[in-house]
Amino acid sequence: MTGTLSQIFTLTAKDLRIEGRTRQSLALVLVLGVLVISVLGLGLGSQPAIATMGTPAILWVAYLFSGVLCFEKTMAIERHDGALAGLLLAPIDRGVIFASKLISNLILMLGVATVITFVGILFFNFDLSPAPGGFVLIIVISMIGFAAVGTLFAAMVSSTRLQGGMLAMVLFPIILPLVIASTQQMTAMFRDGVAPGGAGLAILGAFDAVFVVVSWLVFELVLEP
Amino acid sequence: MKSRALWTIYWLVVAATFAGAIVLVFNYTPNESTMGLIQKVFYFHLPIAICTFLCCFCNFVGSIGYLINRKRKWDDFAAAGAAVSVLLCTGVLLTGMLWARGAWGVWWTWSPRLTFSFMLWLLYVVYVLVRASIESSQKRAIVGAVYGLVAFLDVPLVYLSARLLPDIHPASIGLAPSMKLTLGLCFIPIVLATIGLVYANFRVNVARRQLAEANEQLNLQTETAAGGAL
Repeated sequence: MTGTLSQIFTLTAKDLRIEGRTRQSLALVLVLGVLVISVLGLGLGSQPAIATMGTPAILWVAYLFSGVLCFEKTMAIERHDGALAGLLLAPIDRGVIFASKLISNLILMLGVATVITFVGILFFNFDLSPAPGGFVLIIVISMIGFAAVGTLFAAMVSSTRLQGGMLAMVLFPIILPLVIASTQQMTAMFRDGVAPGGAGLAILGAFDAVFVVVSWLVFELVLEP
Repeated sequence: MKSRALWTIYWLVVAATFAGAIVLVFNYTPNESTMGLIQKVFYFHLPIAICTFLCCFCNFVGSIGYLINRKRKWDDFAAAGAAVSVLLCTGVLLTGMLWARGAWGVWWTWSPRLTFSFMLWLLYVVYVLVRASIESSQKRAIVGAVYGLVAFLDVPLVYLSARLLPDIHPASIGLAPSMKLTLGLCFIPIVLATIGLVYANFRVNVARRQLAEANEQLNLQTETAAGGAL
């Protein structure tokens, strides 16, 4: 058990170290997220109606596009110099590779989401004060499911060398329940002042549970150097 | 030859029961008191919706089967299920939109069941499109199987999340006995047509794959023969 944990830790640290030294993907992903927000901001203007009702949806659009780019990039690291072949030859369980990729994707996405959220709040005068804790809770739970499915499909798209854009295509329809449940929760929190919970939160939790397990099980089937 | 005759008879039966169902819907069943004529679309809407789920389930079974034993026949079956489910789901959306226009005066609203049908349609349209864009048949099979598995597990979550949206759909409809009978009889042609379509699609997929494999074999043989001649 400790062996597995240390393997996961080593692999995650490797991914994050590469990211820390090159800062390639994070910069790209952040700029893309901010661009999406500004395009929507310029299109919609900052009317008060958008501030409460529209901001969660706008943030989600930015999360989705940056997420796709982020998952693609973290998997692309393994394409260089036959890194994936080395990883597959290493005496570790394929599930460990999935777990480490999931964790590094999750850490990166949480960082990206923090920046994007601040930009969104700034541009749209979104008032986070009614339920800051609830907001963070919903986003963190959503990101786990998003990263799980994203990690699986990024590996699949990368292993089969599908052309660009395919990841967004396969990821978006699968991720829709997360988007609906979390935006509905946000509307309830910020417009009606209801605490997060009930069916919406249960769906987010169920999504995480189902897709972390399924992606973990299926991951080794799609991984090819 | 015999199977061809059987096949023709099968589709003739489907056509006959379908014609019978239409006659029943318009001549035997009374008009619904508040919605009127447009409610008749319901007799086809519900069976098509249920058959859509059956096809999604076929896709799921095929995907799981392929992931477990890697036999191409499973993949052919999964692809057939998805293709027919897209067709039927389009039918659900179109009949649903007609009904919505008649009953609520709008073609579209983001009510839970409409949203759900639309998201289901998106899920399987993407399946069909992604498959079509992959050239290698082995990669197509594995991508299809993984996506099919994830998509089917996503369906209940899509349904539950869509239910969070505000609803104007009838929760349950009280039906007169004659309406129930018609609805039950309308299931027959639609279920039969669904089975026929999935089967036909499956056979076409199998034949297409066998043709591609035979072509590959032939190319390989010509290449080796040419190599030997040199």
